[in-house]
Amino acid sequence: MNIKIKKALKVISEVLYKTFKFGSLQSIITIYFAIIIILVIVFMSAVIYSKFVKTVDNNALVSTSQTINQVNRNLQYYLQGMNEVSNTVAEQLNSPSSNAIQKAKDVFKMTITLRKDIESIAVFTEGGDMLLSTSNLNLKKGLNVKQEDWFKKVIKQPGKINFSSPHVQNLYRGEHRWVVSLSKEVKYNKNGKMVRVIALVDMKFTAIDELCHLIELGKKGYVYIINTNGIIIYHPQQQLIYSGLKNEKVDFAVNNDDGSYIQNNNGEKTVMTIKTVGYTGWKIVGISYYNEMVTSKKEIYYFITSAVAISILVLFVMSLIISARISLPIKKLEKLMARVEKGELDIYADIKGENEVKQLSKTFNSMIYRIKNLMDENSKEQEAKRKSEIKALQAQINPHFLYNTLDSIVWMAENEETKGVITMVIALANLFRTSISRGKEIIKIKDELENARSYLVIQQMRYTDKFDYIIKADEDVLDYRTFKIVLQPIIENSIYHGIKRMVDRGMIKVTAEIKDDKLLLQVIDNGMGMSKETVESMLSNESKGKISSGIGVKNVHERIQLYFGNEYGLEIESELEVGTCVKIWLPKLKEEVG
Amino acid sequence: MIIKVSILLIQIVLLLVINTGCMGQVNSISNNPQKDIKVEVILKTSENDFWKNVRMGADAAGKEFSVDLSINSPLNESDVEDQIRLVNNAIERKVDVIVLAACDFKKLVSVSEKAVDAGIPVIIIDSTIDSTRVSTFIATDNKEAAIKAGNKLVEIAGVECNIAIMSFVKGAATSNERQEGIYDVIKKYPKIHVLGIRYSLSDEVIAEKLTKDLLIKHPNINAIVALNGPSTMGTAKAIEELNLIGKVKIVGFDNINGEIDYLEDNAIQGIIIQNPYNMGYLGVKNAIDVVNKVSIAKTINTGSTVIDRSVMYLPENQKLLFPFIK
Repeated sequence: MNIKIKKALKVISEVLYKTFKFGSLQSIITIYFAIIIILVIVFMSAVIYSKFVKTVDNNALVSTSQTINQVNRNLQYYLQGMNEVSNTVAEQLNSPSSNAIQKAKDVFKMTITLRKDIESIAVFTEGGDMLLSTSNLNLKKGLNVKQEDWFKKVIKQPGKINFSSPHVQNLYRGEHRWVVSLSKEVKYNKNGKMVRVIALVDMKFTAIDELCHLIELGKKGYVYIINTNGIIIYHPQQQLIYSGLKNEKVDFAVNNDDGSYIQNNNGEKTVMTIKTVGYTGWKIVGISYYNEMVTSKKEIYYFITSAVAISILVLFVMSLIISARISLPIKKLEKLMARVEKGELDIYADIKGENEVKQLSKTFNSMIYRIKNLMDENSKEQEAKRKSEIKALQAQINPHFLYNTLDSIVWMAENEETKGVITMVIALANLFRTSISRGKEIIKIKDELENARSYLVIQQMRYTDKFDYIIKADEDVLDYRTFKIVLQPIIENSIYHGIKRMVDRGMIKVTAEIKDDKLLLQVIDNGMGMSKETVESMLSNESKGKISSGIGVKNVHERIQLYFGNEYGLEIESELEVGTCVKIWLPKLKEEVG
Repeated sequence: MIIKVSILLIQIVLLLVINTGCMGQVNSISNNPQKDIKVEVILKTSENDFWKNVRMGADAAGKEFSVDLSINSPLNESDVEDQIRLVNNAIERKVDVIVLAACDFKKLVSVSEKAVDAGIPVIIIDSTIDSTRVSTFIATDNKEAAIKAGNKLVEIAGVECNIAIMSFVKGAATSNERQEGIYDVIKKYPKIHVLGIRYSLSDEVIAEKLTKDLLIKHPNINAIVALNGPSTMGTAKAIEELNLIGKVKIVGFDNINGEIDYLEDNAIQGIIIQNPYNMGYLGVKNAIDVVNKVSIAKTINTGSTVIDRSVMYLPENQKLLFPFIK
């Protein structure tokens, strides 16, 4: 059984540990629930307990006094019986019959046979001689009845019925019975003459003993009887009283009226119940032990406490479960939200629960859906914006170049270099044709190379043969497609940063080939070259605005990556005083693209 | 899941309720903390009124203090072996305390000390043993009782007389102490002569025969003091049969069947009665105290009373002389 409990406790503590976090919805619900439940239960139990205690106390007193009353009734019945017997004695002796004594003796013997509680009946004359006796035993030798208590009392108070204390009857030889004696004066019709005689009825004391002995006042409680003078008539432990080992508060019982009194007896709380017996003025005193009376009180106390503990425990667990049921869907939602926070948007909340929670999850789903749409729209807009920016930049190049070229043409014209003017204008026209290319963004490699050639022609003339150039392309690449104006910014860069400052005549080589299943265009020069840092910064964002021509190179790189992905784009290799090689990787496109 | 949990909950509740039920029982037992104390009372015999009274006293204490009381005795006072067996039996049953009225001063020492070694305190009533390891000795102060008997003897027989002593077991602690008490009184009176001392072995018939022999041998004996119940009865019977009632006075001990009649017939002029009821009661009461580690006196005197015809029917003596024996 204990193992089962341990297991259950372990399960509970694990559940608690897992689900219970302070400040959580569940913990708050549980705690408020628990507080309310505990308050209500404790209050109710306290009310019930105090009511119960009052009832128990009351019942204990009532049942004690009922017990004592029962003893009293039995005792009165017993004493009354004695009195009736003594009346019979008087009737018999009153009869004028001549052999009244013998007749009376027969009646008395019959009475004794019928009533087992009577020990003997005897009648004595005023002088102390025995008139008759039911006992077959002889009187003791030298016995003086006149000295006996019961006899003296009748002489003293002739009209009264006297009850003696229990004593050993010492009339007969060889017999020592404990009796209670009733003695009274009766008239004996002696040959028509009324004579005063004394009747003695001895009742067995064991009858009283049995009456009181069987009384149960708890396990330790008992009953004793005292007479009006406070002398103990009956006590279950009379020998202890005589030897002084036990004391009873007899004086208290003598001086107080009937009722129940709580006393402190050698540190133990006792209840003394006093009841006066009719006829004799005897008092029955019941002693019951308070601790025994309130045993049931303690039992109830333990019972209620454990019942309260159990119900609190059970209700606590139940409130845990209820609060878990309420808060679980919310917790699920919370977890989903955390995932959304991390950037996951492909989430659909399918949570069952209360109406509110269902509504919440529905709203959550539509919210996530809207966020997703908005974000898609946003990125599309951003892309379009950047494309338009790029177009604008593309447009920016042309006027700048056009101005310089035209300047050169003017300059050549002034020097009447007609041939040069013609070549340059044709090249310029070609350049513009390809760059406009009927508004198309994607053109054939062939056209792009032509475009590059026109540009190189113009530049070669402007820089008066400062460099030579070679354009070399494989036949099979010519029909592939590329962005327009890819080579021109790179060649421009080569001229301005590689060739222009050279003392010797430079060389620019433009190639087109297929490599690794990609289209590779290269612009190679033998110019000044660039430092590693310059190379690195050229394609990164930092270069923006620092080196003006860098804008063009970077622009090409970004445009390629934007349209074709990160696997394509520019790759720059450069060494100072040796030259630069810019590789342009492009996909093998055959058809025109958007 | 919820169904599982509720089944678990119902199980827990049931278990706890069952446990509470057990708890309740435990509590109701613990309300009587002494109910657990097992007291073993071993008497000399269950035969005569004296021991029946001891038994009543022990029963009264057992009820008053709510202990688990068991009372045993050998059939015959002289059956020492049987009493040793009873003590061994109590040790085996692991009682908490033993109350013993030893049949023999020497022969019960080893078994009693064995009990003490086993952690069972031994309380001696009435007759002690030759050991210092017993918790307490509760008995009549025999010497004091015998001095009362001696004084009664002087009162009835005078300061000039011939007496005889009817003792019971030669060498037994009780009889030795009682003899000492008698001698303590009579040595003050040089004209009292002790003409004989006999041992009845606590047997009425032997006592009667010894008395008769003694009176034939010393017809001038005025009084006999008999030191226990059977000795007193035997002596009184002899006096009655020899028609010497009133001529040879008797002071006796105890209150066993018939002694009262001899007292009333004036065959016995005085008896010293002990308080067997108190002996039994105090034996058990002190046994409980020992178990509860309450300190108790090393010896407790239960007292003795001198009874003669004139006081035998006083209320306080009636109870001593005519106890209710159920």
